[in-house]
Amino acid sequence: MAPSTSSHAPSLDNLIKSFNSQSLEASIESLIFLLKRRQVKGDECAKATAHILRQVVAKAKWRDVDELLSRVQSVGSRLVRSAPLEPVIGNVVRRVLGLIRDEANEDRNADDFGSEAASDIQSLTSSTTPHPLRPGPSPIRPSPSALSSGLPVSKSMFNLLSVKAPSASPVTGASTPLSQAQPASVHALRSEVMDGIEEILDEINQADDQIAGFSEIQIHPGDYVLAYQPSRTVERFLVKAASKRRFTVIIASLESPSPGSSESPYAALRKKLNAAGVNTINLASNGLMAYIPRVNKVIFSAKAVYQNGGLLVDSGSCVAAQAAREYLKPVIALCPVYKFCPEDPSDEVSRGELGSPGSYVSYANGPAVDALDIENTVTDYIPPDLVDVYLTNLGPQTRHHLASILADHYKIEDIGLSLQLGEP
Amino acid sequence: GRRPSMPIVERDIRSGIPECFSHLPMAKRIPTSQAHKDVHPAVLAVGQQMATFALNDSIARLKATLLAFRKVIESYETPKGNSLSRHFVPHVLNPQIEYLTECRPMCFAMGNAIRLIKGNINKFDIDTAEDEAKEGLLEWIDFLINERITLAEYAIARNAAQSINEGDTILTYGHHRLVEKTLLEAKHDGKAFDATVIDDPYGCGGLELAKTLRQAGIPVSYSPNLGGLRPKVAAASNVFLGGEAIFANGSLHAPSGTADVAMAAMNAGVKVIVLCETINFDRDRVSVDSLTYNEIDPERNTADSFRLLFDNTHDRYITGVITEFESGGGNSPAQAI
Repeated sequence: MAPSTSSHAPSLDNLIKSFNSQSLEASIESLIFLLKRRQVKGDECAKATAHILRQVVAKAKWRDVDELLSRVQSVGSRLVRSAPLEPVIGNVVRRVLGLIRDEANEDRNADDFGSEAASDIQSLTSSTTPHPLRPGPSPIRPSPSALSSGLPVSKSMFNLLSVKAPSASPVTGASTPLSQAQPASVHALRSEVMDGIEEILDEINQADDQIAGFSEIQIHPGDYVLAYQPSRTVERFLVKAASKRRFTVIIASLESPSPGSSESPYAALRKKLNAAGVNTINLASNGLMAYIPRVNKVIFSAKAVYQNGGLLVDSGSCVAAQAAREYLKPVIALCPVYKFCPEDPSDEVSRGELGSPGSYVSYANGPAVDALDIENTVTDYIPPDLVDVYLTNLGPQTRHHLASILADHYKIEDIGLSLQLGEP
Repeated sequence: GRRPSMPIVERDIRSGIPECFSHLPMAKRIPTSQAHKDVHPAVLAVGQQMATFALNDSIARLKATLLAFRKVIESYETPKGNSLSRHFVPHVLNPQIEYLTECRPMCFAMGNAIRLIKGNINKFDIDTAEDEAKEGLLEWIDFLINERITLAEYAIARNAAQSINEGDTILTYGHHRLVEKTLLEAKHDGKAFDATVIDDPYGCGGLELAKTLRQAGIPVSYSPNLGGLRPKVAAASNVFLGGEAIFANGSLHAPSGTADVAMAAMNAGVKVIVLCETINFDRDRVSVDSLTYNEIDPERNTADSFRLLFDNTHDRYITGVITEFESGGGNSPAQAI
């Protein structure tokens, strides 16, 4: 795992730059290294995964679709395994796999059936389904989604089976390319898939701004908004709202400021908001029930949304959501579509991830360190009944419609990705 | 000496408070030189300790106040032509109370005790000899301290310890004296159980409690903050909470964060047991949210941070209250006062 040691502060940008000068395996290793050390986390994981998979598509040796799929699957599951508490990695891997299947379908349909109508439908769905630039919430329900969730899935499964059956023995055995059309289509497929990944990257990059676009609908003049541990997504949302509305932001966080540092938490955000005429109150408190009577709505961002509607969040967000529920205040979770996982939360997720207790109990405090079990939980799981609005880059959703988002973005074949983790 | 800039500084302190919380009181450090001349030195010291939160807990404040009032009574001499029962309260006791309130808003236990003392003084006949009256008052105060503080603490810890079963996991929030006593008592009885201490990083009493319990041989799991509250609470068999006061509608006034813990526990189907001396019960006040009676933390009232000291736990999140007289449901309070 040597390559990234050249730079002392390994960052995602440096890593991506280094991809061009490194072999594929070295790039994968250095990303896994960063993931394991938690130097790439959260939203960055999604970007890093898309970047590395693009490298896989571009550099790895593959002769047909199945080989490409298995390359992506194996790299993908290595990444997922190296950061089990970053579900977005798996999501991006699944998106890329779905993308490959769509593109391959398109080719096969054109080859096999030569039917204009079929390829039209396929090209329509394959270009709209992973397309990130859809402006508003409108395209979720109309016909393309119906097509992509219903018809093409069954079609691609059919194709998978019908193609695999004859190809199974040649691929594993003599590994002879089965189709004379492959060499040309491999080239086309490669560039189409790379374009598709580029679009996924665009989607990831633009998601925050798109979500912020809905802020003036959600935030009203005079509101007291409790922003729990505002992430970049939430910051952008609030700043955008501040350009239109006068309201008050109550910032809450679990972290107590370390005694030494004089810099106040979220100073940059507060400065921006204050400049726009929005008042901010920084709470130095863990318990939030005391303030909830004054609050109109609670906003935080999710690290991941599970298919049952439960959320993986920064720890403490659950306290905020729970307090809001007690006073029937709306809980708005900001969650770009790429954070939606087509699986249920694991036990590990619902128990919460443990972080270093070092900032709370110093090592100088011998008796405490020796004898106590110190649990500094850094992630929370929020059950679906505590969340009112899932605000995605495609618009606000309730948990009853999450299934259609998942069906729009993932192929049934790829949902079990995490189950394949055991395989080498 | 007095600095002319002092009043301006005081106004600045209050002006930093966000508008929506500006109705709430805040403890204030008053330079001893600015105190009223009638304030007794013992009371002066107690006031300073309250303003700096060296005395924090409601019972600690009550006890210190009563002991200081003892000194006030001992040094009191009725002026000629007056009687203790007519002169002492308006001219001597009230300035002490005013000063203490100015240092930090009185806790509800202090309010109760002062009402009891005044009622006791009013019972004296106008002709009662001064020595006799003073003696009676001092005895009454000693009785209050013994009965409502010392014995109460013992009885509550006894009762609560009996409700702990072998193999239980007891979860508590912050550091409350009664919870500590109870757990140590149960351990002393030979019961084997675990403790989970959830702390408030801004209050930080919980770590002390965790260490004390650990030293007593109780396995302790310590969480420095409210992260992961739901799974931790769900793993507990009982939640023990201490309180500053219980209002007439049965709601609990306790350090900020208590309500979050109680609610998480109730939602997880875990029993929430509140330990509280009856002197803390306020039968005159009703509070349905945390912004009716509260205090602003003077330490954290800056441009960068704001904090309330207490919150209000609705009685539906309390399974039971253990007092020195009886243990009952959350909404059967005040008759004991």
